Amino acid sequence: MTVRVRFHGRGGQGAKTASRILGNAAFNDGYFTQDFPIYGAERRGAPVTAFTRFSREEITERGFIFSPDISAVMDDSLIADTLANPFSGLRRGGVAVVNTTKAKGSVVPGRDDVKSVCLDLTGQALKTLGKPVLSAGIAAAVARISGINKEALLTAVVDELKDIGLSAEMVQKNVGFAAAIYGELSPLELKTEELDAREELVPLAVVVSEGGIEAVTQAGNSAIRHTGNWRTFRPNIDYEKCTDCMMCYAYCPESAMAVGPDGRVKIDYDNCKGCMICMVECPLKAISQTLEGGA
Amino acid sequence: MATATRFRTLKDMPKEDYLSPGNTLCAGCGGILALRIFHKVLGPKVAWVNAAGCMTVSMSYPLSPLKSNWLYTAFASAPAGAQGVRDALDVLMAKGKLPASEDLKVVVVSGDGAAYDIGLQSTSGAIDRRLDFYYLCYDNEAYGNTGFQMSTSTPYGSSTKTTPATAAYPLGNTARKKDLFEVWRAMKAPYVATLANSHGLDFLRKVERGSEIKGPRLYIAFAACPTGWGFDTRNSVEIEKLAVQTGVWPLKESVNGAVRHTFVPRALIPVSDYLKTQERFNHLFEPSEKTEAIDAIQESVNVYWKEAGAREGFEVKLPGSSSR
Repeated sequence: MTVRVRFHGRGGQGAKTASRILGNAAFNDGYFTQDFPIYGAERRGAPVTAFTRFSREEITERGFIFSPDISAVMDDSLIADTLANPFSGLRRGGVAVVNTTKAKGSVVPGRDDVKSVCLDLTGQALKTLGKPVLSAGIAAAVARISGINKEALLTAVVDELKDIGLSAEMVQKNVGFAAAIYGELSPLELKTEELDAREELVPLAVVVSEGGIEAVTQAGNSAIRHTGNWRTFRPNIDYEKCTDCMMCYAYCPESAMAVGPDGRVKIDYDNCKGCMICMVECPLKAISQTLEGGA
Repeated sequence: MATATRFRTLKDMPKEDYLSPGNTLCAGCGGILALRIFHKVLGPKVAWVNAAGCMTVSMSYPLSPLKSNWLYTAFASAPAGAQGVRDALDVLMAKGKLPASEDLKVVVVSGDGAAYDIGLQSTSGAIDRRLDFYYLCYDNEAYGNTGFQMSTSTPYGSSTKTTPATAAYPLGNTARKKDLFEVWRAMKAPYVATLANSHGLDFLRKVERGSEIKGPRLYIAFAACPTGWGFDTRNSVEIEKLAVQTGVWPLKESVNGAVRHTFVPRALIPVSDYLKTQERFNHLFEPSEKTEAIDAIQESVNVYWKEAGAREGFEVKLPGSSSR
């Protein structure tokens, strides 16, 4: 049987690396494997998709995975993101692995024929790595669920992360991260069945629907995109401490800060991507960060 | 250049934003920050002419963050596009079909790939024709949009996708960064300047100063790139600050060929303090420190500041070599 895994992350979380770690792990465990990302305008925060296939027999399938056995979602804000559609085509009996602190039980809306595995990968990553990079953790989760050997996985973590230039110390931290997640889970039965073509149709709901056609001719219309769901951290201004020096405003790359009629800086949370430059540049330390709920 | 400035402190940065939030660039992008600040000084009446690069994907149909105009051209031909836009505006005004109040400032915006490499010949043509335009290059020292491949702006010792640090090439890129400032100056452009987002007041004043001059004007904005350089988005402005304080990124301008450093650090911080902040230089410190390479980088910075100081009559305290 071929196991088809589709990773959904936001640029910078490590979706592509996760697909490589899993592919390498399966290979180390004696499987035939494939792994590859979608090449497009990926960038930090934007939805990114990557794939891994592995099988004991030679794999003759090629191309994107439209009907995965496992859909691995590294950011729960992607569930409702119509540009990502992470559960489209997920097979009956398939598994949704989701990084979240919000959801419990079933995370796939309207599907009682799939299993859900919820994990707080961001929390674990911040604890073990000090930053929200999830590639080793999500790859470990999928490897464990699909029954890949632990040594094969950890070797793959080392090889892949060394290959992209991580320091020896960071690689070891990632090995710890992967081992911790691997230990939390147990293998699941993967007896899946493909959806019929009609069920699989992905509703075409791109961002145009939010603004309608007239928005096309409106100058500066990108504000309706709401890049606020890219955030890992949320900046908070303490207005007691703030002296309106405008440093944060000057250095916000997003124009996601505006000066109100009262002369005070307001954060546009619909679009702030949470880069946190404002917090670092604030000379009075009047800006703090909180982890966004969920991933 | 004792003209009055409307920018006394950073607080005088105009509060109008001509870029809406919601662009699709990486969080913490130094390039879009430079574009945002640049636009604030120029005001609303701008026609941007863009060569392929990161800024191209700041927008994707049907959504754009720009409240001004945008013409997208091929990689090599943005300055030629700018010539067309400028000519069209001039002809319309000459025929009385466009009031002078609706004239636009024509600005080429590109990354270092187009500015240093692919678009250099059309740039040369535009300078030769004395085209009245601005060129804003957001310099992230590689082809960032396509995954960080080496450009001729990539500094010595940087690892990129096409110059990775390997056993055979342990330093990554060993070519020196091209001096685009001097290239433009040699072509007799009336105004050439470098910018850093971290030095916002200097930034605002240079754009203001260039606006008083006619002809081809180049601005090379140092554009910290969290994705390509490998650092936490929150340090984007801090890393630019370090580049200036270590002397790696000199802030200067050339008015009709006369060069002046607009910020002279009293004492340079060692370059390793800057290099250490970014994964693209990791291999210079791990598994063991490549002292020779770091010293070579330090030495080239020292030579630069010694020569500049001798020409302009200032003295900068230089750090010693790292192998003291």
